[in-house]
Amino acid sequence: MINLTGIHKSYSVGEVLLPVLRGVSLNVNAGEFVAIMGPSGSGKTTLLNVIGCLDDVDTGTYTLAGETVDQASDDDLARIRNQHIGFVFQLFNLIPRISALRNVELPMIYTGEHPAERRKRALQALQRMNIADRADHAPSQLSGGQQQRVAIARALVNNPELLVADEPTGSLDSATGHEIMMLFHELNQAGTTILMVTHEEEIAAHAGRIIRLKDGLIANDDGA
Amino acid sequence: MLNFFIDRFSQALFALKDNLRRTLLSILGIAVGIAAVMAVGTISKGGNYLVFSELETFGLNSLWVFRDRADKNPNRMIREGTGINNDDYQALSSDCCPAVRRISAIVSGSRGKRIIIQANNRYSNAQLQGVDTALTTIANDVIVQGRPFRVRDMTSRRAVAILGPMAVEDLFGAASPIGREFRIGNRKFTVIGVLETKSRDFLASIGSAGGQDANNRILIPYTTFQQMQGHKKINYLQAEAVTQAQASVAAEQLIAVLKRHNGRNFAYKSDTMDTYINTTQRILDGVAMIGIVAASVSLLVGGMGIMNIMSTSVLERTREIGLRKAIGARRRDIMLQFLLEAVVISTMGGIIGLTLGTGASIILAELTGFPLTPSVTVIIIALIVSVAVGIISGYLPARRAARLHPVEALRYE
Repeated sequence: MINLTGIHKSYSVGEVLLPVLRGVSLNVNAGEFVAIMGPSGSGKTTLLNVIGCLDDVDTGTYTLAGETVDQASDDDLARIRNQHIGFVFQLFNLIPRISALRNVELPMIYTGEHPAERRKRALQALQRMNIADRADHAPSQLSGGQQQRVAIARALVNNPELLVADEPTGSLDSATGHEIMMLFHELNQAGTTILMVTHEEEIAAHAGRIIRLKDGLIANDDGA
Repeated sequence: MLNFFIDRFSQALFALKDNLRRTLLSILGIAVGIAAVMAVGTISKGGNYLVFSELETFGLNSLWVFRDRADKNPNRMIREGTGINNDDYQALSSDCCPAVRRISAIVSGSRGKRIIIQANNRYSNAQLQGVDTALTTIANDVIVQGRPFRVRDMTSRRAVAILGPMAVEDLFGAASPIGREFRIGNRKFTVIGVLETKSRDFLASIGSAGGQDANNRILIPYTTFQQMQGHKKINYLQAEAVTQAQASVAAEQLIAVLKRHNGRNFAYKSDTMDTYINTTQRILDGVAMIGIVAASVSLLVGGMGIMNIMSTSVLERTREIGLRKAIGARRRDIMLQFLLEAVVISTMGGIIGLTLGTGASIILAELTGFPLTPSVTVIIIALIVSVAVGIISGYLPARRAARLHPVEALRYE
C-alpha cells in the first residue's frame, strides 16, 4: 500500500542544507503494523511526516493506496490526508475549547459531511475507543489516556486505511501506554495499516515489523 | 451549502467565545468607529437640512440684478445712480427674457436716511422695501393674513403695506393688523397683508443678508416709495427664473437688455440662489468630508485592533492550524476560518455601532424636528463597510495561517 523509492529530503538550516533522508526505499503492505525506530536525528519523524503526506520530498517517488503523492498539489495532499490517513500525536493535539465529540467530528467537517451523520459517526468512533461516556467533556477534563483515545477516535472517524502515530505513548504512563497499544492491535486486526514512530523497545515490540533508521537510511528492517 | 456556513460560523463563534474579553474589546472598537462615522453623517445631514430649508424659503429660482459699482464710464468718471430706472423696468417687464418667469423692481430707502415708522407710539425698525406685485411669489413669501399687492396698488401709488411678523408685533402687538393704519415718515399706510414667519437660524447665525431679517420687513408698492423719495430709481431687480439651472441665463438676458439701454454709462452684475446653493453645498460637503475622514480614523483604529487580535490568535493557535491541516483542511479552509472570525467581530461591532448611531439620530431628530433618521442606504453601507473592515484587517493574519507548513505548525510550542 505504501511504496517509497529513493526518497531524499533535506532541510536548510541557515545556509547549510542538512540531509535528513538519504535515499529511503520502503514497501508496506496493507494490514501491516510497523514500528519505526532510531536515534534522534536519524530521520524517523521526517519519514513518518513524508508517509503521512505532511511533508514533501526533494527526490524520489511515493505512492499511497494507488495515489502518486510526490507530485500532488497542496489541496490534493489535504484530501489524501483527510481520506486515507489518520494521525495520532504524542501531545494528542485536541482543540481545547470544544468537546471531545466535536473534536472527533472535525475531519468530517472538511469532507462536508451532514451534521447528523457526523455526530453519529463521531459517537461510534468514541464507542469503539470506549470513551463515549466522555463525549461532552472538554479535553482539559480528561486524563492523558482518555485524551489519546479521543484523538484516536478522531483519527479513525473517516475510516482511513492508514494510521500514522508519532510517539503515541510518549506522554503516557506505561500502563496507559499498554492500553493504547491494545487498541492499536484491535485496529490492526480489523484491517487498518499502522505506522508508528517510537523510541521505546517495549512499545515497538507490539508491532509486527520494526524498521530501524540510522543517518537517514534504513539500517535494519526485519520485515524486508 | 447552508450547513457549510452554519458549521464555519459556529466554529468562529466558539473561537471568539474562547477569548471573550479580547473579542468584546475589538467589537467595541469597530462599534465606536461605525457610530462615529454615522454621527458625522447625521450631523452633516442635519446641517444640510437646516441650510437648505432656509434657502428654499427665499426661492430656489431667485436671482438678483444690480449695478456693478466697479464700473467706470470711458471718461473715467464715476456716475451716481442705481443704473436702473422705471423705463428700463418697463422694457424688462415685457417678453424680453424667456428664461425669466417673474420680475420685481426693488426700491430701498436711501442709505443713512432714517424713516420713522410708528403706530400709536409704537415704533418699528423694520427694513422698508418698495416692491412690485410679483415679489412675494418670487421670494416664496406666504401671505398668512390679508392679500398680496395688486397692479392697481402700483399704478395708483397706493399707501398700502404688507408686514413681516416682527413688524406686526412691534407696531400692533398681538392684535390682528389687517386694515389698521400706521405711519411711514409722515405718510399714513394701511396694512393689507401679513407675511409668514421664515426660519432664520442659519442665515442669521452666519450674519448673511447684511444683518437684515426677513421677518422684520415692511413691503410697500415701489411706485409709492419712489414718490415718497421723489425719484424714479430702482435699486435692484429680483426675478424668478423658469428653473433653478436657468437662473444665470435669466440674469444674462436681463443684463443684456439693461446694457442696450445704459451700456455706455453702467455695468451690471447678478447673483443667483443657484450659485449660493452650490457654494453652500460645496462648503457643507467639505466640512462633512473632513468629519467623515476624522471619524474613519477611529474605524481604522478599530480595524487595526482586529488585525492585532487575529495575529495574536493565529500565533496562539499555530498547533491547532497544524492539526487542522493534518486532518484535511486545505489552505482556503484555514483562510476562511480566520477571515470569518474577523468578519464576525467587525459585523457585530458594525451592528452595535449602527444601533447606537441610529438611536442617537432618532433622539436628535426628535429633539430638533429635522428628518435625520438614517436611510436604508446608510444602514446597508455601514454593514458593507463593517464586513469590508473585517475582511481587510483579517486578510493578512488569515493568509499567514493558511500558508503555515503543517509540520512546522505541529511542532510549534
